[in-house]
Amino acid sequence: MRRMTVFAAALLLASWALAQGFGDKPPVVLAPVGNVQVKAGASKDVSLDFRIGSEFHINSHIPKSPLLIPTALKLTAPEQVTVADVKYPAGQDVTFPFSPDEKLSVYSGDFSISAVLKTPANVPPGTYAVKGELRFQACDHSACYPPRSIPVQFQVTVVK
Amino acid sequence: MKRNALVFVALFVAILAMLASGKYLDRTRKHGVIRLVGNVQGVPAPEFTLQALDGSQVKLSDFRGKAVLLNFWATWCPPCKVEMPWFEDLQNQYGKDGLVVLGVAMDDSEPATIAKFANDLGVNYQVLLGTDKVSDDYGDVQYLPTTFYIGRDGAIVDKMTGLLDRKDIEQAVKKTLNTGDRSSSVPQSQAKAEVKAVAAKEPAAKDATR
Repeated sequence: MRRMTVFAAALLLASWALAQGFGDKPPVVLAPVGNVQVKAGASKDVSLDFRIGSEFHINSHIPKSPLLIPTALKLTAPEQVTVADVKYPAGQDVTFPFSPDEKLSVYSGDFSISAVLKTPANVPPGTYAVKGELRFQACDHSACYPPRSIPVQFQVTVVK
Repeated sequence: MKRNALVFVALFVAILAMLASGKYLDRTRKHGVIRLVGNVQGVPAPEFTLQALDGSQVKLSDFRGKAVLLNFWATWCPPCKVEMPWFEDLQNQYGKDGLVVLGVAMDDSEPATIAKFANDLGVNYQVLLGTDKVSDDYGDVQYLPTTFYIGRDGAIVDKMTGLLDRKDIEQAVKKTLNTGDRSSSVPQSQAKAEVKAVAAKEPAAKDATR
Protein backbone atom coordinates (compact mmCIF):
# COMPACT_ATOMS: atom_id res chain seq x y z
CA MET A 1 0.00 0.00 0.00
CA ARG A 2 2.84 2.32 0.89
CA ARG A 3 4.55 1.67 -2.44
CA MET A 4 1.32 2.45 -4.21
CA THR A 5 0.94 5.75 -2.36
CA VAL A 6 4.44 6.76 -3.42
CA PHE A 7 3.66 5.78 -7.01
CA ALA A 8 0.41 7.76 -6.91
CA ALA A 9 2.17 10.80 -5.49
CA ALA A 10 4.87 10.62 -8.18
CA LEU A 11 2.26 10.31 -10.89
CA LEU A 12 0.31 13.28 -9.53
CA LEU A 13 3.48 15.36 -9.36
CA ALA A 14 4.38 14.48 -12.95
CA SER A 15 0.87 15.36 -14.09
CA TRP A 16 1.01 18.67 -12.30
CA ALA A 17 4.34 19.49 -13.97
CA LEU A 18 2.92 18.54 -17.36
CA ALA A 19 -0.17 20.63 -16.74
CA GLN A 20 1.88 23.72 -16.00
CA GLY A 21 3.60 23.43 -19.37
CA PHE A 22 0.40 22.71 -21.26
CA GLY A 23 -0.20 25.25 -23.99
CA ASP A 24 3.35 26.53 -23.97
CA LYS A 25 4.70 24.14 -26.59
CA PRO A 26 6.74 26.01 -29.20
CA PRO A 27 5.29 25.89 -32.71
CA VAL A 28 8.75 25.06 -34.10
CA VAL A 29 11.05 22.25 -32.96
CA LEU A 30 14.57 21.26 -33.96
CA ALA A 31 15.18 17.67 -34.98
CA PRO A 32 17.99 16.05 -33.03
CA VAL A 33 21.37 16.92 -34.53
CA GLY A 34 23.83 14.05 -34.50
CA ASN A 35 27.42 14.50 -33.46
CA VAL A 36 29.13 16.35 -36.31
CA GLN A 37 32.59 15.02 -37.04
CA VAL A 38 35.12 17.21 -38.82
CA LYS A 39 38.83 16.80 -39.52
CA ALA A 40 41.14 19.44 -38.14
CA GLY A 41 41.84 21.96 -40.88
CA ALA A 42 38.81 20.89 -42.89
CA SER A 43 35.24 22.08 -43.23
CA LYS A 44 31.93 20.29 -43.02
CA ASP A 45 28.34 21.10 -43.96
CA VAL A 46 25.75 20.75 -41.24
CA SER A 47 22.01 20.78 -41.77
CA LEU A 48 19.65 21.84 -39.02
CA ASP A 49 16.19 20.44 -39.59
CA PHE A 50 13.17 22.15 -38.11
CA ARG A 51 9.54 21.13 -38.01
CA ILE A 52 6.68 23.62 -37.76
CA GLY A 53 3.43 22.52 -36.15
CA SER A 54 0.82 21.63 -38.77
CA GLU A 55 -1.47 24.57 -37.98
CA PHE A 56 1.27 27.20 -38.07
CA HIS A 57 3.50 29.04 -40.50
CA ILE A 58 6.42 31.33 -39.77
CA ASN A 59 7.94 34.16 -41.78
CA SER A 60 10.81 33.17 -44.03
CA HIS A 61 14.28 34.65 -43.58
CA ILE A 62 13.34 37.37 -46.05
CA PRO A 63 9.72 38.36 -45.46
CA LYS A 64 8.01 40.69 -47.87
CA SER A 65 7.62 43.54 -45.38
CA PRO A 66 10.24 45.05 -43.09
CA LEU A 67 7.61 45.02 -40.33
CA LEU A 68 7.41 41.24 -40.33
CA ILE A 69 9.85 39.35 -38.12
CA PRO A 70 12.28 37.23 -40.18
CA THR A 71 13.30 33.75 -39.15
CA ALA A 72 16.91 34.00 -38.07
CA LEU A 73 19.47 31.53 -36.77
CA LYS A 74 22.16 32.81 -34.48
CA LEU A 75 24.99 30.40 -33.60
CA THR A 76 27.87 30.94 -31.22
CA ALA A 77 30.80 28.58 -31.61
CA PRO A 78 33.93 28.18 -29.47
CA GLU A 79 37.16 29.56 -30.93
CA GLN A 80 38.13 26.09 -32.24
CA VAL A 81 35.16 26.07 -34.65
CA THR A 82 33.96 28.72 -37.10
CA VAL A 83 30.40 28.81 -38.36
CA ALA A 84 30.15 30.26 -41.85
CA ASP A 85 27.84 30.52 -44.79
CA VAL A 86 24.48 30.05 -43.07
CA LYS A 87 21.96 29.32 -45.81
CA TYR A 88 18.20 29.63 -45.44
CA PRO A 89 15.66 28.06 -47.76
CA ALA A 90 13.57 30.34 -49.94
CA GLY A 91 10.17 31.07 -48.50
CA GLN A 92 6.94 29.91 -50.11
CA ASP A 93 4.79 32.77 -51.36
CA VAL A 94 1.40 32.08 -49.87
CA THR A 95 -1.90 33.93 -49.71
CA PHE A 96 -3.87 33.48 -46.53
CA PRO A 97 -7.59 34.00 -45.89
CA PHE A 98 -6.71 36.92 -43.61
CA SER A 99 -4.91 38.78 -46.40
CA PRO A 100 -6.23 37.56 -49.74
CA ASP A 101 -4.65 40.44 -51.66
CA GLU A 102 -1.19 39.99 -50.23
CA LYS A 103 1.33 37.19 -50.57
CA LEU A 104 3.51 36.40 -47.60
CA SER A 105 6.86 34.62 -47.74
CA VAL A 106 6.67 31.85 -45.19
CA TYR A 107 7.95 28.47 -44.07
CA SER A 108 5.55 25.71 -43.12
CA GLY A 109 5.99 22.01 -42.45
CA ASP A 110 9.67 21.02 -42.43
CA PHE A 111 12.55 23.25 -43.40
CA SER A 112 16.32 23.12 -43.06
CA ILE A 113 18.99 25.71 -42.51
CA SER A 114 22.53 24.76 -43.49
CA ALA A 115 25.84 26.09 -42.32
CA VAL A 116 29.50 25.33 -42.93
CA LEU A 117 31.70 24.45 -39.98
CA LYS A 118 35.41 25.16 -40.32
CA THR A 119 38.27 24.25 -38.03
CA PRO A 120 41.88 25.44 -38.16
CA ALA A 121 44.57 22.78 -38.73
CA ASN A 122 46.04 23.25 -35.28
CA VAL A 123 42.85 22.56 -33.33
CA PRO A 124 43.36 19.81 -30.77
CA PRO A 125 41.03 16.83 -31.23
CA GLY A 126 38.02 17.00 -28.98
CA THR A 127 34.34 17.73 -28.77
CA TYR A 128 33.10 21.30 -28.88
CA ALA A 129 29.60 22.63 -28.32
CA VAL A 130 27.98 25.02 -30.77
CA LYS A 131 25.06 26.87 -29.20
CA GLY A 132 22.55 29.36 -30.43
CA GLU A 133 18.91 30.02 -31.09
CA LEU A 134 16.35 30.20 -33.84
CA ARG A 135 14.15 33.28 -33.67
CA PHE A 136 10.84 33.21 -35.46
CA GLN A 137 7.33 34.56 -35.38
CA ALA A 138 4.44 32.19 -35.95
CA CYS A 139 0.87 32.66 -37.09
CA ASP A 140 -1.99 30.31 -37.76
CA HIS A 141 -4.94 30.82 -40.10
CA SER A 142 -6.43 33.67 -38.05
CA ALA A 143 -3.96 35.02 -35.54
CA CYS A 144 -0.30 35.49 -34.69
CA TYR A 145 1.96 34.79 -31.73
CA PRO A 146 4.73 37.07 -30.48
CA PRO A 147 8.26 36.43 -31.73
CA ARG A 148 10.05 33.77 -29.75
CA SER A 149 13.27 31.77 -29.80
CA ILE A 150 14.09 28.11 -29.35
CA PRO A 151 17.54 26.90 -28.35
CA VAL A 152 19.77 25.25 -30.93
CA GLN A 153 22.71 23.18 -29.79
CA PHE A 154 24.92 20.47 -31.23
CA GLN A 155 28.33 18.92 -30.70
CA VAL A 156 31.24 19.09 -33.11
CA THR A 157 33.95 16.48 -32.77
CA VAL A 158 37.28 17.43 -34.25
CA VAL A 159 39.47 14.48 -35.28
CA LYS A 160 43.00 14.29 -36.67
CA MET B 1 -8.05 -5.02 -4.63
CA LYS B 2 -11.26 -3.00 -4.70
CA ARG B 3 -9.46 -0.27 -2.79
CA ASN B 4 -6.66 -0.21 -5.36
CA ALA B 5 -9.19 0.28 -8.15
CA LEU B 6 -10.76 3.18 -6.31
CA VAL B 7 -7.36 4.80 -5.83
CA PHE B 8 -6.65 4.49 -9.56
CA VAL B 9 -10.00 6.01 -10.50
CA ALA B 10 -9.41 8.92 -8.11
CA LEU B 11 -5.92 9.36 -9.54
CA PHE B 12 -7.21 9.37 -13.09
CA VAL B 13 -9.81 12.02 -12.28
CA ALA B 14 -7.21 14.13 -10.47
CA ILE B 15 -4.84 13.97 -13.46
CA LEU B 16 -7.57 15.00 -15.88
CA ALA B 17 -8.53 17.91 -13.63
CA MET B 18 -4.91 19.04 -13.42
CA LEU B 19 -4.39 18.91 -17.16
CA ALA B 20 -7.55 20.91 -17.77
CA SER B 21 -6.85 23.51 -15.10
CA GLY B 22 -3.18 23.80 -15.98
CA LYS B 23 -4.08 25.20 -19.36
CA TYR B 24 -5.76 28.14 -17.68
CA LEU B 25 -3.75 28.56 -14.56
CA ASP B 26 -0.17 28.58 -15.82
CA ARG B 27 1.65 31.79 -15.02
CA THR B 28 -1.51 33.33 -13.63
CA ARG B 29 -0.06 35.53 -10.98
CA LYS B 30 2.22 38.39 -11.83
CA HIS B 31 2.48 41.98 -10.69
CA GLY B 32 0.23 41.22 -7.72
CA VAL B 33 -2.78 40.82 -9.97
CA ILE B 34 -4.64 37.66 -10.76
CA ARG B 35 -4.90 37.70 -14.49
CA LEU B 36 -8.08 37.24 -16.43
CA VAL B 37 -8.60 33.60 -17.21
CA GLY B 38 -11.41 31.48 -18.52
CA ASN B 39 -14.74 33.15 -19.11
CA VAL B 40 -14.18 36.83 -18.41
CA GLN B 41 -17.69 38.10 -19.17
CA GLY B 42 -18.94 40.32 -16.35
CA VAL B 43 -15.52 40.72 -14.79
CA PRO B 44 -14.39 44.32 -14.16
CA ALA B 45 -11.79 45.18 -16.79
CA PRO B 46 -8.37 45.64 -15.19
CA GLU B 47 -7.43 49.31 -14.91
CA PHE B 48 -4.37 50.49 -16.85
CA THR B 49 -2.46 53.63 -17.62
CA LEU B 50 -0.67 53.48 -20.95
CA GLN B 51 1.24 55.94 -23.05
CA ALA B 52 -0.49 56.99 -26.25
CA LEU B 53 1.41 57.65 -29.48
CA ASP B 54 1.02 61.39 -28.87
CA GLY B 55 2.84 61.00 -25.55
CA SER B 56 -0.22 61.45 -23.35
CA GLN B 57 -1.08 59.00 -20.58
CA VAL B 58 -4.39 57.24 -21.08
CA LYS B 59 -6.29 55.47 -18.31
CA LEU B 60 -9.09 53.00 -18.94
CA SER B 61 -11.16 54.66 -16.23
CA ASP B 62 -11.08 57.88 -18.31
CA PHE B 63 -13.72 56.19 -20.45
CA ARG B 64 -16.16 55.10 -17.73
CA GLY B 65 -19.64 55.56 -19.12
CA LYS B 66 -18.44 54.75 -22.64
CA ALA B 67 -18.39 51.43 -24.45
CA VAL B 68 -14.74 50.54 -25.03
CA LEU B 69 -13.38 48.28 -27.74
CA LEU B 70 -9.88 47.40 -26.54
CA ASN B 71 -7.91 45.79 -29.34
CA PHE B 72 -4.49 44.21 -28.77
CA TRP B 73 -2.52 44.14 -32.01
CA ALA B 74 1.00 44.36 -33.45
CA THR B 75 2.62 45.60 -36.62
CA TRP B 76 3.95 42.07 -37.29
CA CYS B 77 0.44 40.61 -37.18
CA PRO B 78 -1.16 40.51 -40.66
CA PRO B 79 -4.61 39.42 -39.39
CA CYS B 80 -4.63 42.45 -37.05
CA LYS B 81 -4.22 44.69 -40.08
CA VAL B 82 -7.45 43.36 -41.58
CA GLU B 83 -9.54 44.42 -38.58
CA MET B 84 -8.18 47.92 -38.19
CA PRO B 85 -10.15 49.54 -41.04
CA TRP B 86 -13.28 47.92 -39.58
CA PHE B 87 -12.54 49.52 -36.23
CA GLU B 88 -12.12 52.88 -37.98
CA ASP B 89 -15.56 52.48 -39.57
CA LEU B 90 -17.11 51.40 -36.29
CA GLN B 91 -15.55 54.38 -34.50
CA ASN B 92 -17.06 56.66 -37.15
CA GLN B 93 -20.43 54.97 -37.05
CA TYR B 94 -20.89 54.46 -33.31
CA GLY B 95 -18.63 57.10 -31.80
CA LYS B 96 -21.62 59.40 -31.33
CA ASP B 97 -23.36 56.63 -29.38
CA GLY B 98 -20.46 56.33 -26.96
CA LEU B 99 -18.08 53.85 -28.60
CA VAL B 100 -14.38 54.39 -27.94
CA VAL B 101 -11.90 52.23 -29.82
CA LEU B 102 -8.49 51.86 -28.22
CA GLY B 103 -5.68 49.99 -29.95
CA VAL B 104 -2.92 48.54 -27.79
CA ALA B 105 0.22 47.92 -29.84
CA MET B 106 2.15 44.95 -28.45
CA ASP B 107 5.25 45.77 -30.47
CA ASP B 108 8.87 46.15 -29.57
CA SER B 109 9.09 48.60 -32.47
CA GLU B 110 9.74 52.28 -31.98
CA PRO B 111 6.63 54.42 -31.43
CA ALA B 112 7.43 56.23 -34.70
CA THR B 113 7.23 52.95 -36.59
CA ILE B 114 3.92 52.08 -34.95
CA ALA B 115 2.61 55.58 -35.66
CA LYS B 116 3.57 55.32 -39.34
CA PHE B 117 1.91 51.94 -39.62
CA ALA B 118 -1.28 53.28 -38.00
CA ASN B 119 -1.27 56.44 -40.12
CA ASP B 120 -0.77 54.43 -43.32
CA LEU B 121 -3.86 52.42 -42.42
CA GLY B 122 -5.81 55.58 -41.69
CA VAL B 123 -6.36 54.71 -38.03
CA ASN B 124 -8.64 57.32 -36.47
CA TYR B 125 -8.67 56.00 -32.92
CA GLN B 126 -6.15 56.21 -30.11
CA VAL B 127 -3.23 53.82 -30.24
CA LEU B 128 -1.54 53.02 -26.93
CA LEU B 129 1.84 51.43 -26.37
CA GLY B 130 1.34 48.03 -24.75
CA THR B 131 3.36 46.71 -21.85
CA ASP B 132 3.98 43.26 -20.39
CA LYS B 133 1.92 44.29 -17.39
CA VAL B 134 -1.21 45.14 -19.36
CA SER B 135 -0.79 41.92 -21.33
CA ASP B 136 -0.51 39.92 -18.12
CA ASP B 137 -3.41 41.71 -16.47
CA TYR B 138 -5.63 40.89 -19.43
CA GLY B 139 -4.74 37.20 -19.27
CA ASP B 140 -1.28 37.05 -20.86
CA VAL B 141 -2.40 38.26 -24.26
CA GLN B 142 -0.30 36.18 -26.65
CA TYR B 143 -2.66 35.47 -29.46
CA LEU B 144 -3.18 38.53 -31.65
CA PRO B 145 -5.54 40.05 -32.47
CA THR B 146 -7.38 39.85 -29.15
CA THR B 147 -10.20 42.28 -28.45
CA PHE B 148 -12.02 43.01 -25.22
CA TYR B 149 -15.41 44.70 -25.28
CA ILE B 150 -15.83 46.71 -22.10
CA GLY B 151 -19.26 47.97 -21.08
CA ARG B 152 -20.11 51.44 -19.85
CA ASP B 153 -19.93 50.14 -16.29
CA GLY B 154 -16.35 48.94 -16.76
CA ALA B 155 -17.24 45.25 -16.90
CA ILE B 156 -16.09 43.03 -19.73
CA VAL B 157 -18.91 42.19 -22.09
CA ASP B 158 -16.97 39.92 -24.41
CA LYS B 159 -13.51 38.78 -25.45
CA MET B 160 -12.66 37.74 -28.98
CA THR B 161 -9.41 36.23 -30.17
CA GLY B 162 -8.19 35.81 -33.71
CA LEU B 163 -9.58 37.39 -36.82
CA LEU B 164 -13.36 37.19 -36.96
CA ASP B 165 -16.02 38.41 -39.35
CA ARG B 166 -16.81 42.09 -39.30
CA LYS B 167 -20.43 41.32 -38.49
CA ASP B 168 -19.39 39.46 -35.32
CA ILE B 169 -17.37 42.48 -34.26
CA GLU B 170 -20.21 44.88 -34.97
CA GLN B 171 -22.60 42.66 -33.04
CA ALA B 172 -20.27 42.74 -30.04
CA VAL B 173 -20.03 46.53 -30.34
CA LYS B 174 -23.83 46.86 -30.31
CA LYS B 175 -24.06 44.55 -27.30
CA THR B 176 -21.44 46.62 -25.51
CA LEU B 177 -23.19 49.90 -26.30
CA ASN B 178 -26.42 48.51 -24.90
CA THR B 179 -25.08 47.43 -21.54
CA GLY B 180 -24.32 49.20 -18.30
CA ASP B 181 -25.18 52.54 -16.87
CA ARG B 182 -24.83 55.49 -19.26
CA SER B 183 -23.77 57.83 -16.48
CA SER B 184 -20.05 58.38 -16.12
CA SER B 185 -20.17 58.24 -12.36
CA VAL B 186 -20.58 54.53 -11.81
CA PRO B 187 -17.78 53.44 -9.55
CA GLN B 188 -15.90 50.36 -10.64
CA SER B 189 -16.76 48.66 -7.36
CA GLN B 190 -20.40 48.71 -8.41
CA ALA B 191 -19.71 47.23 -11.80
CA LYS B 192 -22.10 44.44 -12.59
CA ALA B 193 -20.13 41.43 -11.54
CA GLU B 194 -21.42 38.13 -12.63
CA VAL B 195 -17.99 36.92 -11.80
CA LYS B 196 -16.93 33.77 -13.52
CA ALA B 197 -13.24 34.64 -13.29
CA VAL B 198 -11.33 36.91 -11.01
CA ALA B 199 -9.36 40.03 -11.78
CA ALA B 200 -8.84 41.46 -8.36
CA LYS B 201 -5.81 43.36 -7.21
CA GLU B 202 -4.02 41.73 -4.33
CA PRO B 203 -1.43 43.13 -1.95
CA ALA B 204 2.08 42.93 -3.37
CA ALA B 205 3.31 41.37 -0.11
CA LYS B 206 1.14 38.32 -0.73
CA ASP B 207 2.58 37.96 -4.21
CA ALA B 208 6.05 37.26 -2.84
CA THR B 209 4.76 34.15 -1.15
CA ARG B 210 3.62 32.54 -4.38
